[in-house]
Amino acid sequence: MSEFGIKVEGVSHSYAGRSGASTVALKETNLEIARNEFHALLGPSGCGKSTLLYLIGGFIPVQKGAIRTPAGVVSAPGPDRGIVFQNFALFPWKTVLENVVYGLRKQGRSKPEAEERARHYIKMVQLAGFENHFPSQLSGGMQQRAAIARTLAVDPDILLMDEPFGALDAQTRRVMQEELRSIWRNSPKTVVFVTHDVHEAVFLADRISIMSARPGRIEHLVETELGMERDDGVIASKRYVELCERIWALVREQAISASRGEH
Amino acid sequence: MSALEAGHVRPAARSGPRFGTGLLVQTGVLLALFALWEASTRLGLAHPFLLPPLSDVLVRLYQDAIGGAVFVDLGLTLYRALTGFLIAAALGIPLGILMARTKFFGWFFEPLISIGFPMPKVAFVPIFILWFDIYDTSKIIMVVFSCFFPIVMATHAGTKNVDKWPLWSARALGTKESRLLWEVILPLASPQILTGLQIALPVGMITTVVTEMLMGGRGVGGAMIQAGRFADSVGVFAGIIEIALLGMLVIRGLELIRARLLIWHPEARH
Repeated sequence: MSEFGIKVEGVSHSYAGRSGASTVALKETNLEIARNEFHALLGPSGCGKSTLLYLIGGFIPVQKGAIRTPAGVVSAPGPDRGIVFQNFALFPWKTVLENVVYGLRKQGRSKPEAEERARHYIKMVQLAGFENHFPSQLSGGMQQRAAIARTLAVDPDILLMDEPFGALDAQTRRVMQEELRSIWRNSPKTVVFVTHDVHEAVFLADRISIMSARPGRIEHLVETELGMERDDGVIASKRYVELCERIWALVREQAISASRGEH
Repeated sequence: MSALEAGHVRPAARSGPRFGTGLLVQTGVLLALFALWEASTRLGLAHPFLLPPLSDVLVRLYQDAIGGAVFVDLGLTLYRALTGFLIAAALGIPLGILMARTKFFGWFFEPLISIGFPMPKVAFVPIFILWFDIYDTSKIIMVVFSCFFPIVMATHAGTKNVDKWPLWSARALGTKESRLLWEVILPLASPQILTGLQIALPVGMITTVVTEMLMGGRGVGGAMIQAGRFADSVGVFAGIIEIALLGMLVIRGLELIRARLLIWHPEARH
């Protein structure tokens, strides 16, 4: 791990509660993700995995510890860290093309150049022909494709994904997973992928951080070692099935203690 | 196969005739009401002074239109209503945004707006007559005053409760904090701001006519009071129909503007 992608150093985070008592979402978390690694953050809901992602994104301020990327210490959102949300978060008043062009224009590209590049990425996520559609005219899967195109088009070093396929149906989800993996293979980036789906994490990631329940912390770190190629063959492999079972057991442990902690 | 086909065909088949039937029924209801009006007066069920026959009212409307005087009244009423409405929008939208974005403005204005919103604005007519006399200025200020509150309320609510995900997306794509308002928050809040304007516009029309009635002078409201004083009930009913038509046109116009501006919104597709 000579080149690093993201370093999370002793990061703690707590939210102020209604009654003044604060909830600790993350406690003394350390994590080093290699450059161009596909890393999954896996854990039960409320384990702070989204909080960690938003901290890396710079959307919420780091209270304790530090987060470093090759671009420096994270203090605010920036185009070096692209993000894709579960609910797509497209600009609803802009067409697909305008959505993708938006970030490119922010980079100072001319309009024709931005549009050409946007069309390329729209094609890559298989939305050619829908450039002039508004998000409300598209299915959930298509909206997420558009959101991915918008984020990839600005070519961030780091791609943050917050349960991006959580709102999609099972079939669309599988297709999107395969496509994401192949997009990542063609243009490698450091990916942090938040999910609570064990199969999704194993199928996509090189390494998986399994997070503990409140207060959140990285409890286990697992290397998938399933090779670069991820397809139906991988899913049928013994290694994949065993990994899923092993990781499921670890997650289940956390989920149970989380549900006990909450009641 | 049949289920798929039925699911595919039905909406198209339904929306066609439904729209036509709806329009037909609406026109039918109006025509029936007019027929009832005309018949009750012709049959002597209602005194022609208290309820003049529709045909007499229509003849008066025609004569007024030929004479051209009605257009002066309608034009004045429209001018006062729209001027007041636009001034209220120009003041109310920025204030609503400021209240949502700046804590101080929120604290300062929220109680004032909550008191002002349900207050009957017409109660201020005597004061406004004292302050601004009885001419255009005073009438327009009344309209501004009554349109202002729904516009501020809607803008405040719309800009305060903006969905944070598109905002975060914009920031991650390199949008400066100072540009977020123009580039993201306002477009996202625009449906609610337009709703506020659509609530304010009929309020403004009503206020215009009531103010004209109370302060006198030209304008549809003033003409109706004048007709009433001369025991000209046909003239009063002609005024009612004129103002109803004008109101309908103006409100329909704003609906069209909304449809044009919100072409991206799910409401544009049924």
